[in-house]
Amino acid sequence: MRRLFKARYAVPAGLVGCVGLLGLFGFSPGPAQAVGTPSTATPVTATTSSSSLPTPIGQPTAPSVSSALKATSPSNKTGIFYVNLPASFIAPGQALFAANCSSCHGPEANGSTGVAPNLQGLGAGTVDFWVSTGRMPLAIPGVQATRKPPRFDRLQTLEIAAWVQSLTPGVGTQIPVVDTSSADLESGGTLFTLNCAACHTITGAGDALMDGAYAPSLHLATTTQVVEAIRSGPGNMPRFGSGNITNTEARDIAAYIHGVIQHPSNPGGFALGGIGPVGEGFVGLLLGVGILMLVCFWIGERT
Amino acid sequence: MSDESPRTEGPLPPAALDDPHLQPFARHPEGAQAVAAVTMVIGFIGFIGFGVAYWIGSSTQWEALTLGVGMLALGFGVTAWGKYLMPQGPFVEERHEFHSTDAERDAMTAAVAERGGMVVKRRKLLGGLFALGSATMGIVLLFPLVRSLGPKPGETLFETNWKRGSKLVTVDGRQITVDDLEVGGVLTVFPKGFEGSSPDQVILIRLASELQPLQSPGRTDWGVAGYVAYSKMCTHLGCPVGLYQHQTQQLVCPCHQSIFNVLAGAVPEFGPAPRPLPQLPITVDATGLLRANGGFDQAVGPGFWERP
Amino acid sequence: MIDKSLRWVDDRLGIAKGGRTFLDKIFPDHWSFMLGEIALYSFVVLMVTGVFLTLYYVPSAHEIVYHGSYIPLRGQKVSEAYSSTVGLSFDVKSGLLMRQAHHWAADIFLGSIAVHMARVFFTGAFRKPRELNWIVGVSMLMLGIINGFLGYSLPDDLVSGTGIRIAFSIVESIPLVGSYLAFFLFGGNYPGNGVIIPRFYVLHVLIVPLVIMGLLGAHLGLLVKQKHTQFKGKGKTENNVVGSPMFPTFMAKTTGFLFMTTAVIFLLGGFAQINPIWQFGQYEPFQISYAVQPDWYMGWLDGAARIMPSWEFVGWGHTIPLEIFLPAIIFPGIIFNIFVFWPFIESHHTKDLAYHNLLDRPRDRPKRTAAGAAMLSLLFMTFSASSTDVMANFFQVPLKDVLWFFRFAVIIVPIVAYVVTYKICNEMRAAEGVGKRKRAQIILRSPAGEYTTVESEPRPGDGHEELDAIPVPTYIDLVPPELATGAGVRRVIR
Repeated sequence: MRRLFKARYAVPAGLVGCVGLLGLFGFSPGPAQAVGTPSTATPVTATTSSSSLPTPIGQPTAPSVSSALKATSPSNKTGIFYVNLPASFIAPGQALFAANCSSCHGPEANGSTGVAPNLQGLGAGTVDFWVSTGRMPLAIPGVQATRKPPRFDRLQTLEIAAWVQSLTPGVGTQIPVVDTSSADLESGGTLFTLNCAACHTITGAGDALMDGAYAPSLHLATTTQVVEAIRSGPGNMPRFGSGNITNTEARDIAAYIHGVIQHPSNPGGFALGGIGPVGEGFVGLLLGVGILMLVCFWIGERT
Repeated sequence: MSDESPRTEGPLPPAALDDPHLQPFARHPEGAQAVAAVTMVIGFIGFIGFGVAYWIGSSTQWEALTLGVGMLALGFGVTAWGKYLMPQGPFVEERHEFHSTDAERDAMTAAVAERGGMVVKRRKLLGGLFALGSATMGIVLLFPLVRSLGPKPGETLFETNWKRGSKLVTVDGRQITVDDLEVGGVLTVFPKGFEGSSPDQVILIRLASELQPLQSPGRTDWGVAGYVAYSKMCTHLGCPVGLYQHQTQQLVCPCHQSIFNVLAGAVPEFGPAPRPLPQLPITVDATGLLRANGGFDQAVGPGFWERP
Repeated sequence: MIDKSLRWVDDRLGIAKGGRTFLDKIFPDHWSFMLGEIALYSFVVLMVTGVFLTLYYVPSAHEIVYHGSYIPLRGQKVSEAYSSTVGLSFDVKSGLLMRQAHHWAADIFLGSIAVHMARVFFTGAFRKPRELNWIVGVSMLMLGIINGFLGYSLPDDLVSGTGIRIAFSIVESIPLVGSYLAFFLFGGNYPGNGVIIPRFYVLHVLIVPLVIMGLLGAHLGLLVKQKHTQFKGKGKTENNVVGSPMFPTFMAKTTGFLFMTTAVIFLLGGFAQINPIWQFGQYEPFQISYAVQPDWYMGWLDGAARIMPSWEFVGWGHTIPLEIFLPAIIFPGIIFNIFVFWPFIESHHTKDLAYHNLLDRPRDRPKRTAAGAAMLSLLFMTFSASSTDVMANFFQVPLKDVLWFFRFAVIIVPIVAYVVTYKICNEMRAAEGVGKRKRAQIILRSPAGEYTTVESEPRPGDGHEELDAIPVPTYIDLVPPELATGAGVRRVIR
């Protein structure tokens, strides 16, 4: 709770960690990310934790995830770099796609009218977003896909994404790795309020849209998924290209969502669901006035 | 008080323990006193705790807990003292009619009517002049008290800072080129030089270019390269219409859920908004910058009396 | 010592006689007579915490760069109003507690007024001679709602700024003078030139509280002058008040209640986070969050605005935005006019011009009770309609369906509430002894096979009523037997 404060709300720097490449492989980028105290953060490379990744069964020859990512350099200043998935991912990806996705999207991922969209040209990032959030494979066709535990592990997801990407090389949304260690939370907050809060609400809780659609809660989204959604515009969400929201800005938004929206500071007590004055009103009336009426009931005569 | 019967001096001794009106617990005064005393001690400890919590700069929760428990316990103790250990009723108090007698009323009426009538009738000129003077004072005082508060609306409600050739910029002043938005993208823009200005806020949407001709008749050239621009001020209550549903091509006002159809000139489809969002004609210049091709053709935002 | 100082004061002010009368003043003991005290004591908390807040709050829309201790805002351009509110929350010791207690006290202040008002309404306590005090109370409710709105607008955060924007549009919607009024109030076209925050501030901390304090004094003064009402019961008549004396019994209880009310407010203030403006950020007129509503006491107006169809009148070169004007101005105008004039509406209807010091049981006035139930259900429906989007999300129902549901519900539910309440009241009146403990019916079978029903012996407590005519000792003033209204009842003679 106190991470977001300076001075008397300061926290030991030992809690501070960094996402770095780990962001790509874990859904939770680690404990208490260092928002606002970037200078103390030390980047952690993916190799340090590759052993914790589950080894995919039946794929003993699959390249190690960490070596696959060595190719990309985390040096760029924007805080986001896009991953080139290794060619070795393509073949197992095709097999997974054929077994799990092709019944709707077709064997060549070109979709079928009225059932499933054409995936060609959408890019690995789009596929990664839908699969890693568990929205695909779809639970109930025809209804807005809901977030659920993903069907595939991280490596399988990347393999599927790699295969779909291989159909249209270089086109579409790539998979981002977000390094929030030097993110600007203030900028992220301003951009979030301007671009995201109108649908996802200022607390990121999400809300109902028209015609049964809804803006989902942001409380489980990883930084990678946030940037993938910004770039690909899943469902009813608008697409934000780099001409609209730059990579740096997308990084800041992701950092804000991870550091503030998902871990809000609630120094004032219980957040009451973060749904604003209606919840507060119920608490004030039922708990506040209600308890005081009971006190009246005790003090006074009851006949 | 009309009742002048003598009042007995002296205290209110406690009720006898067999008084049927006593609270059950009050029949055990020692127990009641013990409870009240213990809670008051808890209250005292709570307040000391608050002092400590404040001194060491503890959290809001510790401050509230110590202070709240202190006040709750002290209040409970005092109430229990009053409820169980103080003289209990029921006591009876007589009401007295507080209205005056008819004679007193008549005298009052007579005083008002006769004296007032007498002086006013005799000096009609003075009465009239006083009325005239005070009424005039009341009216002229309205000028500093009301008129000074703000300017007259004039034409300002019909005007925005958009004019032909205004560059579309973000709130940071960044100019928008025709390549900046992806299809399905959305951006809040302002005329250059008026970033952040409320009546000038415009929502810029990039549609697939095959959708743009579906715009309302006569306005097919108001967009360019799939870009269309609408006033972001809701025509209902002026909230920013910031919610864009990309698949259904709807703009929704987050305040009161008015829905506007982007493909049909932002006409309201549902909800309380009565009018379409005014559209801003835009074009692209030779350098690829998006510019306004004119201002709005009507007042933006909610309705008002002077609006034709 | 007491004697000496009292003599000194009485020599100069002559307070002894009235003072003794005041100390002997009788307060009814029934618990429902304390509901108004919740409001009184939350008002005390509002004053104390509010004065604290004024010492740190800066009523200015002037833009500065935030440098306080909340990291995600550092470096952002914010108004001094916003910056100082975040600052007094995080950088002033106990500041957050005071701010949250202030906000909770406002919610409880208005909630307890509503409950108190409902008690007064359903028991008919507003009848002659207390119509004026009813109007004073309704005025305080209205001013309390206005001051609540002004108060939560002051931090200049995203949520409250949206409310101010809507307020401008509502004023603007008034036919003929609306745009002039709105321009005068805001010092120009929205958002004005930075005058609205200081203007709201002076209204919120000075003018409206001053009027409320004056009305509060009148409310309590009239209460003392006209004395309390009371429920029917043995020994209670139109011409007396039965209860506990002001000093010491009532004084002790009510002081304790002051402490406990304050305790509940401060416990909420420290444990239930309210209006976390640091999460909302500075208000900008082009930014918006979904799922924002006003505080609960304004919610019924927001709900009315949501479910209103888009009827705008356009003609003769003018526009009347009925879709705003009707729900935001006419609707609350009607509601508050009904509130204010209800005592006269009712007495006109019943032709009842008598003094009333004894209260009605709600069931005995089925039409009034039904009307009250209809009004409450109307307000509750419009209040609920202010969270249509949250409901749609929670129940996973299409938003349009929820809106259509409420468009019908605000009309149908009050009618149903009226009819059902009316029937229930009549049923309860028709059945004797409703609410009293029943005596067992014993069915006996005679050896001949004949069945008979007899009532059981009365148990203790059966047929219990207030003020049982049990002789009790008299302590203060012995009542001559010929004056006693009930056997052995003690009384204070004036």
